[in-house]
Order: sequence, then structure tokens, then C-alpha cells
Amino acid sequence: MYQRTVTILAEHGIHTRPAALLVKAAKQYDCDILVECQGKQASAKSLFKLQTLGLYKGVSVTVTADGEQAQQAVEHVSELLITLS
Amino acid sequence: MRIKGIAVAGGIAFGQAKVVTPYHSQLDYHLIPPAQLGIEQARLDKALASLIQQIKHSAQHLDPNSEHYQLIEADLLLLEDADLQAELRAAITEQQFSAALAVEHTFAKQAQALQAMDSPYLASRSDDILALGQRVITTLLTGKCSTLTELPRNSIVIAKDITPAEFALLPLENLAGLVLQTGGITSHSAILARSFDIPTLVGCECNLNDIVDGTPVAIDTLNGLLFIDPDAEQVAQLTLAQQQTLRRKTELLKFKDHPTQTSDGHPIALLANVGCISEINHLSSVGGEGVGLFRTEFMLMNRQQLPDEQQQYQLYCDALQLLNGRILTIRTIDIGADKEVPALAMPVEENPALGLRGVRYTLAHPQLFCVQLKAILRAANQGPIRLMFPMVNQVEELETILALIEQCKTELIEQEKGYGPLSMGIVVETPAAVLNLASMLPLLDFISIGTNDLTQYTMAADRGNPELIKRYPVLSPALIKLISQTINQAHAAKVTVSLCGELASNPRATALLVGLGIDELSVSVAALLEIKQELSRWTYIECVELAQHAKVISRIETLNELLTCCHS
Repeated sequence: MYQRTVTILAEHGIHTRPAALLVKAAKQYDCDILVECQGKQASAKSLFKLQTLGLYKGVSVTVTADGEQAQQAVEHVSELLITLS
Repeated sequence: MRIKGIAVAGGIAFGQAKVVTPYHSQLDYHLIPPAQLGIEQARLDKALASLIQQIKHSAQHLDPNSEHYQLIEADLLLLEDADLQAELRAAITEQQFSAALAVEHTFAKQAQALQAMDSPYLASRSDDILALGQRVITTLLTGKCSTLTELPRNSIVIAKDITPAEFALLPLENLAGLVLQTGGITSHSAILARSFDIPTLVGCECNLNDIVDGTPVAIDTLNGLLFIDPDAEQVAQLTLAQQQTLRRKTELLKFKDHPTQTSDGHPIALLANVGCISEINHLSSVGGEGVGLFRTEFMLMNRQQLPDEQQQYQLYCDALQLLNGRILTIRTIDIGADKEVPALAMPVEENPALGLRGVRYTLAHPQLFCVQLKAILRAANQGPIRLMFPMVNQVEELETILALIEQCKTELIEQEKGYGPLSMGIVVETPAAVLNLASMLPLLDFISIGTNDLTQYTMAADRGNPELIKRYPVLSPALIKLISQTINQAHAAKVTVSLCGELASNPRATALLVGLGIDELSVSVAALLEIKQELSRWTYIECVELAQHAKVISRIETLNELLTCCHS
């Protein structure tokens, strides 16, 4: 299992458009990728669930993955969480 | 079949009907017997698949880097979302919902969850979710996934109502005409249709269920008529009228380089109302003397994110460059009432026309307001800008705004950005503003009368209600008294008076307004030449006499007769 915790920097948080880009990136990986934020969990491949996590500016988010390419997937998704706006 | 409507924008149009049926068709709230749940499931899968396919098809021609494409892509990701599909399936199998009800329920729950977000920005996404859910329901109930973004060529859209946001999505190159069941000539969709010169009827009592997509239809805005499947004789008559309209347009073009004045040389400044850069571009081709109203809220519609200071600065600079030294009158963001902005979380109000709109909203959100003020202050270095504020009733509001502007100037100096001079004005659009004008005039360089809202608030009559619009037209004794009082007070204080409501674009009112003493008229780009021509038919003394006559009339009907008599 591989894990990384990052903080959202985007002024408006991860709203629909950046979240969609994140989901597209996550779908490139076969492994399950979990995003955890303020006690709620969602698959990084589900825009529907990600939307309601509350990925606001300043909140801390933990990305976890298991299996093939887990480290690469977590790093990729985490980078997007930091850089997308 | 001929159906009457209220004509908004000019001309005769032929096309094929494109009926937009309201998605709130009756949903069946009965529980589905367990044996039939599989059928509902299959219907859902089929509808989702066909909607996904249709959306993919519609996105084909878009630039993958555009915001529009990325938003469409987000819709697709949602429809294909395994978690969402699992919840929909659960709603069918566990709660025995029909497919449509499952969609309504699941999307509404998601919208509620988004609405509850702490960030107003994220919360405002809930409308998008509801809209997507409604598209799925429409597909389920009708078997068709119709969207406004895809119109066959030469379409005449027939709908209950179109919001300004929806209007912005219409492919205008395929839109031959627009017919709405609701609305009056001053509703915002009507204003948009007029500025793009699309033949439009509103308040049209047609039955949407009676009209089949693809039926030949024609709009005659000269007589306010919608023709469904017109016969050969009607087509011949309309074609003739269409040719005459074209000839009239050519004739009007002669006035392009004429000065705007009465036949004896009394000058009036003739400016244009615009909502976007492309309209400003169009201005030179009809000889407009500048912009009398730039509706900045239209730059916000259909955007997921508000333009920042730099983007707005660029927009105003572009406008100034196109105007090449001519005046640019900017109205600060006027949202609320019937103008919703997806990028902003707007409170749900029971009575939005009487709610947090105009400067009431922007003063409640000073951060948003200051971004715009700073962008305008900076752009004022590049050309002449007049700035005006909507919905100001009280001198305190004006003082607060002016203090905010001073604060913005200080911040701009600190940031070493610099700013230029601005003329200050307000939109006079409530009876209170007229009555309180004396206290505000010393702080102002100009005022602009917004007759649409002034009528609505004076008559307490919703401008979206066709019944009331017939009964309380803008050209009424009460409005003439208010306009006259406003002009007299402003002139005593040496303040310029402009009029930017739809009344200014109505040639029947031109001589009357000039006679009442108006200094400037700000009209829709499409009406500019016609107003110029109308003014050239009158001497100033005739205008003054007409106004004196009109001021003492107490009946709407008598006033109408007087103006009709002047125009025959």
C-alpha cells in the first residue's frame, strides 16, 4: 500500500472541471485509488463521489492505492490535487 | 395556423420548428412491482447509453482545450460513473422506483449534498447536477435527448422560456427565430434576441404539444404572428414582406454617417446598449457614438469561474480599443432577479426582483465588487469610461460605493498599478431613486434612466408576465411624470441624463423623450439607425410641444392614440 497526504491550494477548491481532469488521470491506472478528506472517502475514479468530499482550499487530503503501479498512481493524483485549479 | 405573440426583434423568418418541451413532465410516483424492476433497469441503461453517445457526438467539433469541452467531458464522466450507476440501480431495486424517479431522486440528493458545501463556489455546482439529471429524465421520458446546443440549420426554437444562460448556448448561426410562451419585450432573453437581431416573438400562446419538430414555421414580427405550416399564399405574402424589410434596412443604412439631431439641428447623443465585445464590434457599422450601457453581468454567464481582475481589465481595454476614443459606459455587475450566474452562489429568494440584486448584491460581496472596480479603474487609463451603478436607492449606498472606489485606488497605488479618471453615475430604476435624486446628484456626473425596471417597480408589475405587460406598458402617464421629474432635477444640478431602457429603442417614444429634455439615448445596436431616422423627422419645437401635450394625459389609451397619430 502506498499513501501520500497533500493540501489543496486552488482558490476555488477542486470543483467540477479540475475534478474531471483528476478522474481522467486516475482511470489510466488499473489499481484502486482512494481519496480521503475530512473523514469521507471516495474513489479517485468517481467524479460523482469526489464532488461531495468537500475538496476546499486549505483542506488536507490523503491519497491511498494498493497493487500494481500504486506508487505512481498516488504520486500522479496527489500532484494533480496540488496543482489543478 | 396563425398564433398571436408580442414582437420583439425585427423581421420575417422562415424555418423549421424545434420545440423545447419542459423536462418537468409528470413523473410517475407509483412504486414499480418487483417483477418489472428489470425493465426499468434496462430503460435506464438504454437512456444513459444514448445520452452518452449523443453528448460525445456533440462534443466532436469542440476544441478539447476549451472550457466548454471540459465541462461536457465532466458530464460524461458523471454519466459513466460506476458509483452513480450503482446508486441509481439501488434506487430502482431497493426502493422500487421507476427509472425516471430513480434519476430524479439520486441527482437531487447529490445536488443537496453539493448545496450543503461550505464553499459557495462548490455549492453553486448543484444546478449543473440538476440540469444533467433533467437531461437524463428527458431522454427516459421522450426517448430523445434533445439539447439546445445542437440545432438543425434554420431552426425556429419554440419554448416556454429560455434563460439567458441557455440563450448563450444556442448556436446562433442555426437559429432563424425564437418563439417563447412567456416573457415580455423587456425580459432578458428578449433583450439578447434583439441585440443579435434574431426575429423573436414572446408571450405567444401556442401549445407546445401541438407542434411537431421539423414542421415549417414562420415568424412575422411586423404583425406579431407565428405561422405553423403556412400555406402557399401566406408564404408568398411573408416573402414579399421579407423583401420590403430588407429594402428598409438598406434605406436606413443611409443614416449611418448622419449626425444624430432633429431636423433643425438639436443634437442628441445616440449610444448603444451592449452585452459583449462582438456587439461593440458591430457598432461602427451603424454609426454608434459610443456605448451607453455595457451589461457586464453577461460576461459572467455560462462561466464556471469569475474572470479575475486581469481578465476583466483586458476585456475593458479591448472594448475601449474597439471604441477608439468613443465613450464606454460600464454598468457594474447587475445580477439577481431573473439573471442567474452559475459561477456565483446566489441565495434562493422568494421574491428576487425585490431582493438582493444590483449593488445590493455587490455591496454584500465587496471582494467580488472590488475586483471589478479595480479592473475598471485601471482600464480608465486607456480611454474614456463612465461608470454606473444599478439599483441605488439611497445616498448612503452611493457614499459606500464611492468610499470603496477610493479604497481600491489606494490599493492600486500600493500595488503600483495606476488608474485613470472615471465619471460616476447611477441607473435610476426605482421610484425611490427618483424621489431621492436631489441628495445624490451632487455626487454624480450623469444618470441613466432604466425604464424597464422603473416601470416594473412603479406599477408593481412583473416584467416577465405577458398579461401585466399588456396592461402596464412602459409608455404610461406615471412613467412620463417620473422621467420628466428626473430630467428636470438633474438638469438643475447640471447633470447629464441618459435613458438606457428598452423605451429608448422604440421609435414611437423618440420625439417625446427628446421633448422631455433627454440628453442621450442608449439603444440596442439593431435599433440605432431607426432612432436616428425618426429623430431627423422632427423639429425640436415639435418634440417639446408633443411632450407638453403628453405630460397632461392621464389615460394610457389616450397617450397611445397621441403617439400613433404622430406616426401615421
